[in-house]
Amino acid sequence: MESRAAMIELVNLRKEYDNVLAVDDLSLAIPQGEIFGLIGPNGAGKTTTIRMASGLLAPTTGRAMIAGVNVAEEPERAQKNIGYLSDFFAVYEDLKVWEYLDYFAHAYKMPEADIPARVTEVIAQVNLEVKRDAMIRGLSRGMKQRLGIARAIIHRPKVMLLDEPASGLDPKARLELRNLLRSLRDQGATILISSHILTELEGFCTAIGIMEKGRMVRSGSIEQVTAAASSTRLVRMSWVGDALTAAEEKLKSDPRVSEVTFTPGGGTFRFSGGEEDLAPVLASLIAGNVQVTWFGEVKQTVEEVYMKLSTHEVM
Amino acid sequence: MASLRDLFWTNPEFIRHRRAELRPARALTAALVVIAICGLIALACWSFQESELARAQAGLQAYGTEAWKHWVDTIEKNFAQKTWLLFYRWLIGIQGIALTFWTLFSCAQSVSGERDRKTWEFQRTTRLTSAEILTGKLLGEPVLLYFSMLCATPITIVAGIAGGLSVGTVLSVWLFFLTTALLLGLAGMWLSTLLESRTRGVGLIGALGIYGGVLAIYGMRESGLPGMAALSPLSAIISLLGADPSPSRPELAPVLFGREVPWLVMNLLLCLLIGTWLVVMLVRNLKRDYPEIRPLSRWQAVGCGASLNFLIYALLQPGRANSIEGHAGWFADAKSVAVFAVAMNGLILFLVGLATLTPQERLKVWQRRRNLGQSRIFADDGLSWPWLGMSAVVAYGLMIWGLLAWDHSLPLESRTLQTAAVQLLLVAVFVTRDVLFLQWCMLTRLRQPVVKGFMFLCLYYAAAAVIATLATVMSANVGSWAVALLTPVGAFDPKVTGAAFPAPTYVGLAFQVGVIGLMLVAISSRLQRPAQVGAAA
Repeated sequence: MESRAAMIELVNLRKEYDNVLAVDDLSLAIPQGEIFGLIGPNGAGKTTTIRMASGLLAPTTGRAMIAGVNVAEEPERAQKNIGYLSDFFAVYEDLKVWEYLDYFAHAYKMPEADIPARVTEVIAQVNLEVKRDAMIRGLSRGMKQRLGIARAIIHRPKVMLLDEPASGLDPKARLELRNLLRSLRDQGATILISSHILTELEGFCTAIGIMEKGRMVRSGSIEQVTAAASSTRLVRMSWVGDALTAAEEKLKSDPRVSEVTFTPGGGTFRFSGGEEDLAPVLASLIAGNVQVTWFGEVKQTVEEVYMKLSTHEVM
Repeated sequence: MASLRDLFWTNPEFIRHRRAELRPARALTAALVVIAICGLIALACWSFQESELARAQAGLQAYGTEAWKHWVDTIEKNFAQKTWLLFYRWLIGIQGIALTFWTLFSCAQSVSGERDRKTWEFQRTTRLTSAEILTGKLLGEPVLLYFSMLCATPITIVAGIAGGLSVGTVLSVWLFFLTTALLLGLAGMWLSTLLESRTRGVGLIGALGIYGGVLAIYGMRESGLPGMAALSPLSAIISLLGADPSPSRPELAPVLFGREVPWLVMNLLLCLLIGTWLVVMLVRNLKRDYPEIRPLSRWQAVGCGASLNFLIYALLQPGRANSIEGHAGWFADAKSVAVFAVAMNGLILFLVGLATLTPQERLKVWQRRRNLGQSRIFADDGLSWPWLGMSAVVAYGLMIWGLLAWDHSLPLESRTLQTAAVQLLLVAVFVTRDVLFLQWCMLTRLRQPVVKGFMFLCLYYAAAAVIATLATVMSANVGSWAVALLTPVGAFDPKVTGAAFPAPTYVGLAFQVGVIGLMLVAISSRLQRPAQVGAAA
């Protein structure tokens, strides 16, 4: 993760509101092309972190760097690379759709000659072509949300900072947002997205960070985080025929196997070795005349890991 | 030139307002309404002149005297010109009031309105600088009114010139209104940044207060600081158009360093000075998050205090006759000037204190660094008392300079300076105490701590006045002790010469210094409290 240059770098970031410590000494480096999911309960400090990274909030101490630019010191230069989207989609109701995007394209100081084509392109990207000349006040809520997304990407930002962007979206709009974010990542954008709907992030995040009480409890790729949450692997198997005794004998003879449970036609066990060490276990079962039909590790979901961390089963 | 064009005409924020508010149908309607209103006013003016003529002719028929004949001849001879002039005065009066009023009120909702609609955050995350947003909003918010005025411009110019006014006068009146309107727009925008959301009631009261104040400042024409009246649009109407309601009085002109200057020049100077400080505050704070707003840096606050002091001595007109019979006039001697300057500095120091209040978060960081020996007392994030002290010293220096400058007409005695030094010290101590109290309020859990703190201070002074009155009823001596201990009023005893103030004044001074010490301890203990981790849901 650290081998590529960090597009988003948060260094010892701290934020105090009056007597409340919202973010406590947070450090994070997200390389280019990563989709980093920030998860945690309400009040964990996710929004504060994203607002500090986007320059909306000044950190009490520490610094936020976007594409190598300190956001607090050079806000206008940093904003060139930032696309910010929050959980509300406020728009200027008294403008037309193209005027709204044209305004933001100019506000982001895009080259004048590129603006008309870019406005058309972005309108097409969010499927609002037929509403191009319509007044915004006449759009539906979903359309306004799509327009908000178009605003955030109009200047081709290298970094997207998204604070609960899918809240309030219907399932179809969520899917569209997910596809849009994937396409942005494919174009090289780096995305920091916060959510407390974990299943929403699991499908497309390349890395996650779990925040609680202003601190980053755990971060890394999904595999790293889920693996680190448990020292053993959960393995599930199934077979045909009466192989219970043979399977039990083989498994119990391996010192790395524990917590063996059997169900009719199969079972689960915990394995303390690496992924490559599982192959000999399978081989020994087969050698013991167990007709294995399925054998594999059960990956933990982010949700399971998160629940474990938040209930302090793992720290 | 390109950057100026970017700042004004191609400013995205200005274009946004232009697009939203000047759509063809609306612009056409506005133009037609303006022309219709102009037509109605013209008819009303013509009708008024006609009725005036009819009255004079009726008088001539009834009495047949030479005076009536002369009046009829005069009206008939100047009928067209007088009608045009009346028409012009009505047009410019309406435009002046509409321009200043609309600019103030539309700008007073600019930032708070965006906060309310939640569009402000998206604007803050663009690459627009504070200066660009400021210019765009200042010119864009009242763009419909500017357009309407533009529609009325040809008619107004024709009316003015046909009414016998020079082109210079017509342009001067416009310039006067425009600068006053821009200043009011800046004031409105600053008020808007201080409102967390569009609290229409508070915004309306604030804007009405500003507008009322600006109109009322016209009354300063006859004060010892006549130049201040140049901020009022009434000065332009009355002075530049020769429509003084009291022509029997001698011409009242503003003075700058003792020399008379035109009202327009004075207006431009004042708008430039006050407008510059408003622009500095807005550019510094416009893109900041609401709790991070700090009007001025420490040095800027000291500079602002010094410039306001400078303004007092520059606009001063010693010995200006007052309209009240038997009154010796304003600022008859150096002592009265010094007392006025000290009183004004009470207000100026309080404003400096308000501008230098530090948000809790920044103050905590400063305190931590100070405990480690990494920050100084004179720091931008520290407490404001050292800067208030510095402002008071600068004010005293300017007072010496100002009084020496007026020595030729107001002979200065060293005892006057001694008295003023003690008075200013006492005022500065009281202001420091009050500002530290407001700072302490900011460290508590009060909502709107500065507003509530200010109200507590008002309650304190009201209570002090009641206690002092009751004490005076009991005994004059007890009363003087109560006044000296609780308020700075004791320092303004006219019988005192030099530094020979009565003992209660110095005891009161020492008492307030002790209170300041207690305030500092209270603030320090608040700052030592560690931040608690927020409860996650």
